[in-house]
Formats: sequence, C-alpha cells, structure tokens
Amino acid sequence: MKKALLTALALSLISGLAMADRLDDIKKNGVLRAAVFDSNPPFGFLDGKTQKINGLDVEYAEAIAKKIGVKLELVPTNPANRIPLLASGKADLVAANFTITDERAKQVDFSQPYFATGARFIAKKGALKTAEQLSGLRVGVDKGTTQEILLRDKYPKTTVVAYDDTPLAFAALRNGNVQAISQDDAKLIALLAQAPDKTKYEVSPFALSREYEGVGLPKGETRLVALVNETLVQLEKSGEARKIYDRWFGPKTKAPLARDFKIGDKTE
Amino acid sequence: MNPELITDNLSYFLFGAWPNGGAMGGLLLTLWMSFVACILASILGLAGGIALTMGSPGLRAALESAIAVLRGIPVIMLIFWCYFLLPVLFGLNVPGVATVIAALALINAAYLSQAVRAGLAAIGPGQWHAGLALGLTRWKTLRLVILPQGLRIMLPSFINQWVTLIKDTSLAFIVGVPELTMVSGQVNNREQVYPLQIYLFTAILYFLLCAGLSTFARQSERWWNPRHKGARHA
Amino acid sequence: MTPPLWLGQTWLAPKYLGALFSGLLLTAWLAFLVCLLATLLGVVLTAMTESRYLGLRSAARFFISVHRNTPLMVQVLLWYFGVPNLLPEEAMLWLNTPHTLALPLGLEPAWPSYEFLSAWISLSLYSASFIAGELASGLRAVSHGQREAARALGLRPWQELRHVILPQALAYVRQPLIGQYTGAIKNTSLTMAIGVAELSYRSRQVESETLLTFQAFAVATALYLLLILASQWFGHSQKPIWGASR
Repeated sequence: MKKALLTALALSLISGLAMADRLDDIKKNGVLRAAVFDSNPPFGFLDGKTQKINGLDVEYAEAIAKKIGVKLELVPTNPANRIPLLASGKADLVAANFTITDERAKQVDFSQPYFATGARFIAKKGALKTAEQLSGLRVGVDKGTTQEILLRDKYPKTTVVAYDDTPLAFAALRNGNVQAISQDDAKLIALLAQAPDKTKYEVSPFALSREYEGVGLPKGETRLVALVNETLVQLEKSGEARKIYDRWFGPKTKAPLARDFKIGDKTE
Repeated sequence: MNPELITDNLSYFLFGAWPNGGAMGGLLLTLWMSFVACILASILGLAGGIALTMGSPGLRAALESAIAVLRGIPVIMLIFWCYFLLPVLFGLNVPGVATVIAALALINAAYLSQAVRAGLAAIGPGQWHAGLALGLTRWKTLRLVILPQGLRIMLPSFINQWVTLIKDTSLAFIVGVPELTMVSGQVNNREQVYPLQIYLFTAILYFLLCAGLSTFARQSERWWNPRHKGARHA
Repeated sequence: MTPPLWLGQTWLAPKYLGALFSGLLLTAWLAFLVCLLATLLGVVLTAMTESRYLGLRSAARFFISVHRNTPLMVQVLLWYFGVPNLLPEEAMLWLNTPHTLALPLGLEPAWPSYEFLSAWISLSLYSASFIAGELASGLRAVSHGQREAARALGLRPWQELRHVILPQALAYVRQPLIGQYTGAIKNTSLTMAIGVAELSYRSRQVESETLLTFQAFAVATALYLLLILASQWFGHSQKPIWGASR
C-alpha cells in the first residue's frame, strides 16, 4: 500500500512537472477549458432560446479565451465540483461565481476580484428579518459553497441541508423542506426575478458577509494568472466590464442591481 | 400539465446542445454511452468469467478480490474516483464521457464475469469430459462446446446487466456529463416550478429505452434458443 | 520531500472523521429500513403476481416494470422534488413540522426529515421491485412435483407452503437476496442529491471544508467497503430462518 502510494506520488509529481505551464498547453491545444455554471442565471445558465450556456461569468471566460487567442470550451459545473475540476486538471480555469477565500487559496490561485456580493437568504415574505432568526431554522445551501461552511461554523443551531445547485435548494424551499436558502445576493436576486411565483418570497434585508469573486486557476500557474489579471484590468479600462455588467444586472434587466464594485477597487 | 414545457425543450432533451453546434447530449449521449459501455462490459465480463473458470489460482484470486472491491463500492463513488482522482494520481486526463463509460464498463463487467462463470459451470462436467475425450484442447472445448451452450444460459443475465448499465448512466450528471438526467436537471433548474412534469417525462424516456431493450432481447432470445422453441411447439 | 498539494499537509482531523462516521451510521440505518420495507413490499408484490386475479397480476407487473426500467436517480428526484407538487400544502407542512411520537419506555424517536422520508420510500419501492423478482423465481424453482407430493401426503395448503415450498424457496433466494440488500446499501449513496446526510454527502461536505479530496473519498470508500463486506459476511453466517438445509 505504502509502495503504491509512493508510486502514485512520484507519478503525480512527474505529471505535475510535465504540465508545468498551463498557458503553453492551452495555446498548443488551441482550447481554453473554462468551468462555468449551467443552472445559475445570470452568471452561467442554459439559455432557453439558443440552448447554449451563457451569462456574466461566461462572458469573462470568453474575453480571456479571446485574449489568449484560442477557442473556448465550456465545462458545466455545479458549486461542489469547482475545486475538484481544477485540481484534477479537467478545467483550465473556473469562472463560476467563485468566492475568494484564504482556505480555498491554499488549493487554487485566484485572479483579482471582478465581482462583489454578500451572503443573503431567500425566505417566505416576512419570515426572515434578522440574522438571529436563523437559529432553529432549516436552511438550504449549495454543496461546497462559502455559505455552507459559514452557516455550519457561525450558526450551530441552524440545520444546514446542502443541495447540488441553487434552483434545487429553491425547489426544496417551495416544498417547505427548508425555511430559507442562502447564496450570494446577486445570484438570489436574479433567481427570484426568474421565478414564476416570486411574489411569495423575498431576499433577506441583511447580509452575513461581503464576498469577492475571482477567476479560479490551478495552483502555481503564474503566467496564466498574470494574463487573466491583465485581461480583467483591460476589460475595466475599455468600459467592456461595465457593459458586461449592464447586460446582466443593468436597469433594463429582470434583476437590476447597482454596480458597487469595479475591477481594481480596494477590497475590505 | 403544459405540453409546451416538453415540446419547447424537446430537442434539448433528445440531443442536448448538439443541433446548436455544441457537444452531443441528452438521450442521444445516454444511448451512445450505454452502447459503448455495454459492449466493453460484455467483452470484459466474458473474459473475466473465462479467466475465473480456467485461470491459474493466483489470477483467479486477484480477479476475485478486484470484483469484490468493485461490487463493494457505490457507482457514484467509483465515478468520483475515476473522474477526479485518476487524473491527479496518474496524470491521466480522460474526458468526462470516457470516464463514465470506463467506470460503468468496469463495474458491470465485474457482475457479468460472475454470471459468466456461473453460466459456464452450469454446463456441467460431462460436456467438458466429452470435449476432452474427443481430443479437443481445453480452449477448443471451451470455444466449440461450452461457450455456445453457456451463452444461451447467460443471455438473461446479460440483458439485466445492460438495463442496469443504461440506468446507471444517469449518475454521470454528478460529474457534469450532459446526458439525459443532467439536461433534465438543467431544464428543471431554468423552469423552476415543474419538477414533476420534467422528471416524469425523463422517466418515460428511460422506461421506453430499458423496457424496449428487455422486450426486444427476450424476443430474440426465444428465436435464438431452440429449447424455448421446442417448448413452444410441444 | 513535501507532499504534493492535492494530498494537503495533513490527514483528516478527528472532527471530519467523526462527520464521515455519522454519515456511515445514517447510511446503515437508512439501508436497514429500506431492506425492511422493501422485503415486505416484495412479498406483497410476489403474492400479487401469483394471484388468481388478472387485475392484481397486471398491477404488480406494471409496478415492477416501471420501477425496474427507470433509473433510481430519476425516481429519487421525482419523489423529493416532484411529489410535493401533488400533495396539498397542508400535508407538506405537516410532514415538515417535527412531531413527537411518544412510545413506551420513554422512547421519542426523532421526526424524520422529508429528505429521509422520500429517500426511504423511493429506495424501498425500487428494491421491492427487484426483491419481488427474486422471490418469484424462488417459488418457481420449487418444482411442481414437490407441490404434488405435498398434496398427495395430505398436507393442507398452508402446511404445504410452510413445510415444503418456503424452506426450499428461501434457501434458493438467500444468495440473490443478500445481493439485493447490499445493493440497497449502495443505492443510499444517491440520496446525497436530495440532501440526506449519508456517507457520500458527508464525504463531499468534508471535501469542501478541508479541500482534501483524496482523503475524504478514500475514507468514505473504505467505510462503504467495510459496511458491505460486513453485511455480506453477516448474511452468509446466519442460519436460514426456516432451518432448511440444502
């Protein structure tokens, strides 16, 4: 067993060396594989008309692929699969509403943030006004999200039930199996705006945290990280980042939300 | 029930993003993965069963333990291992569809090899002795005498295993392979309030596929198996 | 030499091993309840397929065919996400509110969550359709000669069933039934999709908290193997209930 483990170790080290520069590999293959959501409007979702995955995160992935000068291949993911996809080399980067945390930064590298949100809740109208009310509730979250960990840590009296994706958690809320669901506020506002029965629910007035979202990249790929950062800065400078934002959260969209964070802003 | 829910998304259910220039998906991908995995599992299972019958004691023991392990872990865990951990452990980067095909082929081959061994054993020693007495080698006896009879006995096990395999392709959604269950999930997540209709429709598609396969296979078995034919005439 | 990143710097902390272990307990408990209900339903279904009435026979056959020919995953999703759409809102509210059921000896079993309930139902119906098949072939394996012999000896129908048919049939189905029961243990892993905190769910939770993918899956896999090998061993070591020997 020990021997097998050592062999596996050695092999993984060798393969690690062989894949030393991901950017060269991407260029050589002519394809950038980006993990994006397929069920979370407006970040990454299946567009009903085109039957293709589209969204804010997808546009950022497109911009990065364009910058490198390669084709973009979308790898659909749910929240739980994001880090395993990067760690196993199934995706070159993750652009899927990916909150930057110290804990995650031990396993993956992050670009600078391009989006800021806070953890909020959806509950039946009037049911959840303050964070204190969370005690004793059953709250639905997505597997592998910051909310899952935060709630388990800070609110031990809350029962956390984890689902594979936010709309599934919402379905459980509709069925009464949980009394609230937690996610990034931008995602929740957009989700609620799409819901046929939106009048029955509301997004909580309070937020538990301020979170910043960046592009997740494999550990140690400095050139790739630099290129992604450069792309993000350029998008902001050219005004393209604003346009992308407005396409999904602008005043004319279903879920208008003021833009309170620009790429390059100081994070709290 | 609103039929538009299904008709608007029908091509996505059946083919995924394929008609729109994307990768193959939906029912078509389910069929494709099932087809390849069924063939692989059958070949591997047959080879495994023969090895369990005729192999050296060492080989048999090794196979037995591999089969015990494969049968002892849930398919979901096996798919996780193949998808996320093989690349890290061995630097093999296999795409999702191939991973799922490999995992399903392996686990079903484990079950099939036991069925094959049982099928071969059911032929009885008399046939072996007869073959050997005619001067045939062990392998020729197997090929010319035992297998033709054994395969008929094994066919029902193979059919059951194929149906199991088709159903298990639905677990591919766990690693983001856009087969039928995953695309239904995507549509369900977008439409939000019609899980009952969407999953019922999905279940009906699987039912037609699996029940169709078993009926077809049983019919052809009847046609192939002279014993049944005789029984019918009698 | 430093370990590669994916292995992390440490082994799993006791807290996480504890989480995995609690997942194992839930897996075992759920699987046990599934085997219980599935066996009862399987017997009922078998009785229906052997019935004189065409209606009962076709109903049983339809039930078995539907449950056998659709993926368990889809059935689980249907029961958890779909069925509540059919139930009146009050019924769902009642199911989701914890009730206490006072039993003698001061036992107060915890009210099961709807996740657990729908997992139990969907897994049991699925397994029952397979168990019914095994039981039916067990009955068929007892030859007609045996039945006729029993009747010739003047045994009443229930004596025939009790002393002649069942002992033989049970001996025959023992092996396949153990296979179905271990299958049921493995099937519980699908309920992680609906938020049942069993072993697979816990392994993903530990993975997302520690980011130690390899360790989390390795421990979970080992626990599954142990549980399944142990139940296989237990199944084979038990004396047949009816004292039949083959």
